[in-house]
Amino acid sequence: MGFHLDWSGVLAGAPLHWLVTGLVTTLAVTLAASLLATVLAVGLLGLRVADNRLARGAARTIVALFRDTPLLVQILFWYFAAFGLLPGGVRDWINADHPWAVLPANVPLISPEFLAATWGLGVFSAVFIAEEIRAGLQALSPGQREAALSQGFGHWSALYHVLLPQALANAYQPTVGQYLNLMKLSSLATAIGLAEITYQVRQIESFNAHAVEAFAAGTLLYLLLGVVLGRLLLAIGPSGAGGRTSEERQADARPAGEGRHGL
Amino acid sequence: MRGRPGRGVMDFDPGVITRNLSYLLWGRLAEGDPGGLLLTILMAVSAGALALVAGVGFALAAWRCPGTIRRLLFLSADLIRGIPLIFIIFWLYFLLPALLGGDVPGAAPVILALAWFSSAAVMYSTLAGLEALPKGQREAALASGLSEGQALRWVLLPQTLRNVMPSYVALLVSLVKDTSLAFIVNVTELSTLAGQVNNRTQLYPMEIFLFTAALYFLLCRAVSLAGGRLARLRH
Repeated sequence: MGFHLDWSGVLAGAPLHWLVTGLVTTLAVTLAASLLATVLAVGLLGLRVADNRLARGAARTIVALFRDTPLLVQILFWYFAAFGLLPGGVRDWINADHPWAVLPANVPLISPEFLAATWGLGVFSAVFIAEEIRAGLQALSPGQREAALSQGFGHWSALYHVLLPQALANAYQPTVGQYLNLMKLSSLATAIGLAEITYQVRQIESFNAHAVEAFAAGTLLYLLLGVVLGRLLLAIGPSGAGGRTSEERQADARPAGEGRHGL
Repeated sequence: MRGRPGRGVMDFDPGVITRNLSYLLWGRLAEGDPGGLLLTILMAVSAGALALVAGVGFALAAWRCPGTIRRLLFLSADLIRGIPLIFIIFWLYFLLPALLGGDVPGAAPVILALAWFSSAAVMYSTLAGLEALPKGQREAALASGLSEGQALRWVLLPQTLRNVMPSYVALLVSLVKDTSLAFIVNVTELSTLAGQVNNRTQLYPMEIFLFTAALYFLLCRAVSLAGGRLARLRH
């Protein structure tokens, strides 16, 4: 086929600068959306395990709506449709210049693109993270929650202090997988013009037609990010999350139904 | 571009949907160029069929050939799941015409990329299903005179496929949603056309994207329901 690879078209000058900007943007949107997704996932889990039937129904509806529509359509919706519903003053403020909220490599954090991508990724991932952790919750005995409540814990503090740590230990690896997925899915924000890695790779390709080199650089950046992020998350995780203890495996092996959490 | 002031939820105008309904549902089908929801379904079905065949094939290869082949299959599956799907589409979109040296219809690289990406998940699910079967199944098949291959073909695989059916259905639902990534190379499936109509009309993003989301939602639900029926039927 005789491809002639010329890396100077990607790893020097403006293209290199674009790639660095893209990397910083991808990192920033991944971090912001991960924090948002974590908060929303805990809220969603709280609704899922609530005694109130309405709360549980609301949580199920949210999960179904966001799980069974493509993330791309959700991001387009937030950016083109929902943004317009914000009060005019808020829109003007978001569109204005914010020199204090600009990361190195000239990456603005307050822009319609960044906020819509963060919100869209955060909401979508929260649903999947909550479902992974819920699977971890189902392996716990219902006695855990009852004991916590009878000790005087409230609904949310029982969830936070008693149930979540155990559920996370049970479902840590799949949960980490969802955060890695969030990082990869941030590539969809190119559709609304967020200047992350994928956007920059396309820009290089249309700038100097070094498609293969640009795609290779982008592919390697995502692979590298995935490995680093995965290692990091597994390292800070609960001990034994990588290889589970025999006790936990026995807990999983209980007959179906017995370990149910009444979810 | 971004939501005009003064047009809120109250000004919802379904007219833009009825005016563009046939375009969103099947594109320029009359000119022999299917698009919209129809193309989304066609792409999901063909990519799903390819992914099923390839993924089950990989799983059988990994099952029969532990060692290097199995490790290579795992490595390539992890690699393919480690990069964004958009990049697999990029690669095939550029490399396929170069390799085949001719005109490749726009949807083909996307279908292949989706199939490749999903086949890794099909492989893992199928392999997990094979390994979850009681050991006695294989031993009994061999003891009654079947060869390893025959035992796999007539005893182990049919049970595995039945047990793994729910995860195949879940993968097909993901596949339906993933076809939306075809926007990146301008293949005229539902999301791309919704974006087109939005750019052209400018004023109705709420109507257009809610309707588009509703179509995907119904399609995904229909796939889940039909898949669930099928799984129960075969039990």
